[in-house]
Amino acid sequence: MITRIQGAVCIDGVSPSEVRDIVFDGETIRNDIPQSTQSDADYRLDNHIVVAGGIDLHTHIGGGKVNIARLLVPELVEHRRNHGRNHGRNHGRNHGRNHGQQLEQESRWMQPLSSPVPGTWETGRRYLEMGYTACFEPAVLPANARHAHAEMADTPWLDTGGYLLLGNDRLLLEWIRDGVPQQQINDYVGWMVRAHQCCAVKVVNAGGIDAFKFNQRHLSVDDKHVHFGITPRQILSALSSAVESLGFAHPLHVHCSNLGLAGNISATMATIDAVEGRRLHLTHAQFHCYGIDGPHGYSSAAHVLADRVNSDANLSIDVGQVMFGQTVTLSGDTMHQYANRGLARPRKAIFQDLECQAGCGVLPFRYRQDQYVHGLLWTIGIELFLRVENPLQVFLTTDHPNGAPFTSYPHLIRLLMDYDFRMTVFSRLHPDVQQASPLPSLKREYMLDEIIKMTRLGPARALGLKNRGCLSEGSLADVVVYEKSENMEEMFARPKMVFRRGNLVFRDGVFYEDATKSTIIAAPEVDTQMDALLKRIWKTRYGYSTEMIAVQTDELRSRRRTVEVTSPFGSQT
Amino acid sequence: MICPLCSLLCDADDLRDIHCERRVASLTQFHSIRPTTSLPHQPDLLPLLRSAKRILVTGRIASVETARAAVAFASKFNATIDCAESGHVFKNVLAIQRSGLNSISLAEARELTDVFIIVGDDHFQTTVPRLPIALSNGKARAQTVLLLGDFTNESAEQWQKAGFDTWTVPCELSSVPSALSHWSLWMDALSKDAHFEVSGANPLFERMRNANYTSVVWSAENLRMAQADLWVERLLQWIANRNETNRCAALPWASTDGTFQQVCTWLTGFPGRVAFKDGVPSYDPHKNSYEQWIECTPMHAHDESVIVLVDETINSRPFLKQHQSQAVQGTSLIELTPSSVRFPTKVTGLEENGDMFRADQCLLARVEAAYSPRPFAKSASDWLEELSK
Repeated sequence: MITRIQGAVCIDGVSPSEVRDIVFDGETIRNDIPQSTQSDADYRLDNHIVVAGGIDLHTHIGGGKVNIARLLVPELVEHRRNHGRNHGRNHGRNHGRNHGQQLEQESRWMQPLSSPVPGTWETGRRYLEMGYTACFEPAVLPANARHAHAEMADTPWLDTGGYLLLGNDRLLLEWIRDGVPQQQINDYVGWMVRAHQCCAVKVVNAGGIDAFKFNQRHLSVDDKHVHFGITPRQILSALSSAVESLGFAHPLHVHCSNLGLAGNISATMATIDAVEGRRLHLTHAQFHCYGIDGPHGYSSAAHVLADRVNSDANLSIDVGQVMFGQTVTLSGDTMHQYANRGLARPRKAIFQDLECQAGCGVLPFRYRQDQYVHGLLWTIGIELFLRVENPLQVFLTTDHPNGAPFTSYPHLIRLLMDYDFRMTVFSRLHPDVQQASPLPSLKREYMLDEIIKMTRLGPARALGLKNRGCLSEGSLADVVVYEKSENMEEMFARPKMVFRRGNLVFRDGVFYEDATKSTIIAAPEVDTQMDALLKRIWKTRYGYSTEMIAVQTDELRSRRRTVEVTSPFGSQT
Repeated sequence: MICPLCSLLCDADDLRDIHCERRVASLTQFHSIRPTTSLPHQPDLLPLLRSAKRILVTGRIASVETARAAVAFASKFNATIDCAESGHVFKNVLAIQRSGLNSISLAEARELTDVFIIVGDDHFQTTVPRLPIALSNGKARAQTVLLLGDFTNESAEQWQKAGFDTWTVPCELSSVPSALSHWSLWMDALSKDAHFEVSGANPLFERMRNANYTSVVWSAENLRMAQADLWVERLLQWIANRNETNRCAALPWASTDGTFQQVCTWLTGFPGRVAFKDGVPSYDPHKNSYEQWIECTPMHAHDESVIVLVDETINSRPFLKQHQSQAVQGTSLIELTPSSVRFPTKVTGLEENGDMFRADQCLLARVEAAYSPRPFAKSASDWLEELSK
């Protein structure tokens, strides 16, 4: 089936932004099809823009901790009739209006959602409503990989993938302590990623989650793990080296040490140094660039990190922007989540130590704009966006749901594109924040094509998704049409149309049947000797065979679900 | 195979070798399971379901596929959904939803814990008969077990046999949380007393005081007391307090409904006990329990009520207690028992045995049809999907 979109401005960060036809044949963009060829569907869309489907490279949408968050706070669920599965075609927004003005301001982006951690159906639906077509769960615990994939399979309208959580698995820590050859670690990492069907490797507070199990309450980059005597620096070096050697498209995805602590910028810089010049992605960087200056001993060090990113093409970050309102924070970083237990609102939390591999901490949290630290976090996130010059090195995330639910993206985009609007929100913050923050001096306003790069092309390149993120010949026809508007928040909140794999799946608030979904994986070479070795170790250590938890590729396939392999690093144009 | 009673993977070929009366009983039932489903023709069912005023979906749902289908079915027919054994799980769930949880998984507990506090009575040993073997890490490091509650020597022997340094402290089950709290106060007070000679203290006391990682184990099934969720909450509070200085976590044992609850949570946002209206789920852990649903069935409304029973486990124990069976007399029952015996594990679970496997913490996909004795027979999820179309 040939589909032609005419009259709209095409923006993809690769070709010049201009009015041109976009044609797709089946699921592939085919701009070489001549004008004279009869198309099956024609759309004349003057006054619109056409972009590729959005890609969220860091959003918690599957796996144990997301479900634990749902379990913990059923009272935060506010189901309205239009959230029901059988009401998929009702796009009404009949929100209650009985909150105070501030609450209304804070919860504006929450209102489309029934909860900070909605169910899979709602997650898929709301992402599609904003023009996103692929999302990545950044923390797949090996023992929980089957759960994560099964949950993401139930998230409609999104292609999905996961990053495997390593760096706190006791076997790896033992091997690093014992000084095994790097090749053995490479083989282990390759085997683990393959066995759990992930597409990248993530490390959370390297060694810190495990150290907390031994009652160690603090571990910075050069501190020693109380049991193993190794440092996070060693772990980061070993893992980044493995990721590089195995040729993963996505660099090591790092949640740094000292999450949320004043002065943690030094640990973040040390983390960058630890990988010795290899490629590195720092995730939810906003939570990791704090100084110790200012009236409350808590200040922004965003300029330090941004300067480093600007001077090093091997570095990329996603921001993890904070927005004001109720959310639930969930992280593998048990050590620091536990330290924050007193801040939980409502006052309850769940902490788990899991399978000699990792852990998880879940606590509900309310960011308040009249609170000094919360206001400061908001400014630091925005600062990072504005200070990093290349939009292909900084990605738009709220670390959903940790900083805010993903539905706040359109609001965030407006903040980045509109200085006056930004300053209006800024003027409501705590007076000490207004005093301390350099935000008013940052007058940059993001251009539309920069936003598109940051939300499409950049994540696609960072993940090795060669056929996504742009409108080039041969790309997958995940195409989004927005009606032009002066108000960018409104524009990005409601696309006119969304195509997935060439199929129209959303138009003017109406959802249509989903196209085939993909699970995106990496496929590193696996050493057969490692297979035998791990089988033996697993049985002794965990009490069951590796085959009990390994996910077969066939399990990921079904009538409407396929498996896609990322391109190795260096093979992309 | 995975024992549906205690959730542990069992590597024994002959279950009768294991001291577990319930297993032996289930093995007997395993042989007598009905070979075919009694489901009437689909065309007869749809009018019944459409005209029903109240529908309950319940039973023992063990696989991801059937859980998905059951939730979709409940949503389509505005039904209430709750597993038949959720009563035990919800003792823990209600406590967690009020005040949170510090917990540990099985393999982690086995590797990390130096003091286990097992709370309950001798029934615990029949609920989780292989736990001593599963938790024994076989390392030289001594692991201590404190059996706190109403345990006899027979239970203690099981733990001793598995290599644990075992202590039994009799205690009224209902007063365990306060006993532990007082114990903590006592330990704190003694720790602050410079004149106290620690070496002269009870060795158990010393081990508890010096434990790096304490795991508290209980089975919700054994909590036969009113408002057991409050008991669990107090125990969780003690665990949370202990974490201020040492590491401590809960290892609660529930039922094999784990897979259903996970799937239901990600589909609806709630762990079960959900009632649908126009496709919108509402959660009420009390009102939407299957027991409450049955008790609230009005006498005159039996012909407008339908119960859909799904059983995916190999032990076809009856769902309904006698008084419940009487309460629903006249109500339409649709039974979706497996048409052929299916193990609620993936192929790997059949081909690769092990010492332990937490079926209540790990998702179970349905076994491939090719491994079933009747590969072409319809499963419960097939039926539910067909009816939901």
